[in-house]
Amino acid sequence: MKIRARLFAAALAVAALSAPEAGAAGISVDAGVTPARDRWIVRTMLRSMQRDDDPTGMGRKMEMLVWNNVLAYGLRSNLTLILKQPVRRREISMAGSGATDTGVGDLAVLAKYRLVRRNTRETTFGLAATLQLSAPTGADEFTSDTWDLQPGVYGSFRQGLWATDFSAGYDLNGFSGERDDGREIGNELALDWAAARQFLVGGSADTTLAPVLELSYRKVAADRLSGRRFSNSGEEVLYLSPGVKYTRSSLILEALVQVPVWQNQNGAQVERGTGFLLGLRKMF
Amino acid sequence: MKRTLFNFTLVLATLLFAGCATVDRSTSAVPRDTDQEVRIYEVFGMDCPGCHGGLEKLVLRIPAVQAAEANWEQKKLTIAVRPGADLDDADVHEAIRQANFTPGERLQ
Repeated sequence: MKIRARLFAAALAVAALSAPEAGAAGISVDAGVTPARDRWIVRTMLRSMQRDDDPTGMGRKMEMLVWNNVLAYGLRSNLTLILKQPVRRREISMAGSGATDTGVGDLAVLAKYRLVRRNTRETTFGLAATLQLSAPTGADEFTSDTWDLQPGVYGSFRQGLWATDFSAGYDLNGFSGERDDGREIGNELALDWAAARQFLVGGSADTTLAPVLELSYRKVAADRLSGRRFSNSGEEVLYLSPGVKYTRSSLILEALVQVPVWQNQNGAQVERGTGFLLGLRKMF
Repeated sequence: MKRTLFNFTLVLATLLFAGCATVDRSTSAVPRDTDQEVRIYEVFGMDCPGCHGGLEKLVLRIPAVQAAEANWEQKKLTIAVRPGADLDDADVHEAIRQANFTPGERLQ
């Protein structure tokens, strides 16, 4: 009986660690302004996320490395099409043993539509609506098995060398289809705010360096299994993320440290630790 | 954790190298010391160095434009008109709008 209870606890622990990971978006500056017609943007981001503070004392840890690749195209001046393909590597360990999985995540297609764009001599304001559809194309370890829908809204305001952005999104996980394990993944609310200030580098308007500060809130509903709430799932996290953005002509480099300053994990989940993000963007 | 930091430092160093190795476009693409007609337009909405490319790409598609250079800090677009060609300001304004910017006055 004791062994069965331990096995059950271990299974729950691994299931909790294996849950789909939702991290803060990161470097959301520029999000509300759609690019020029016929402009291509290639973006690659490397993100590290971890859970390392186990309240149960079982020593559970999870480290996830996500390499996210994004291709965007300005189909019209008011409509941008975006493809996202992540590659993931996850290490899970518990009581001295562990497992590592590597594979592609689900492919996502996103459309961004310009709602408002106001340009004046002093300020720029942009508001855009987005709709993202994720298809269950990923490797077995990383696919959601379902079609997921994410409506969102992005806003950007700029005055001189200052920029502030906000975004709100809602993940409708399992919009269509079912997971192989029968688990229904909880929906997720994401709210982001970012501020940045550009500094000219070497007196040239061609190169800028911008310190960035982001505040991100995530609320993930608990998963459900056979109609019942899965207790070791669902969370609320508030991230404070200082970072830097280096722009040289059409090339942008980004780096961000994501610190979970407050979190509320349901059940016996391992708490989130500090994450890192590095990004490279090239516009053609 | 140490390995992650090491990996990130390595990637950051590579990216910084890539950034520093990109072409410096501080030299003007628009000739200044010739008799060629040069026009300058005000453009609103450009606010970072990355804004140049999209606008220049669209303006260069106008047959009468030989060279174009945008400056986000000065909020200006400078165009060299192809010799003998007739450049319509409306075409330039439309290109500016397609780049999601707003045309201001023609300064020259």
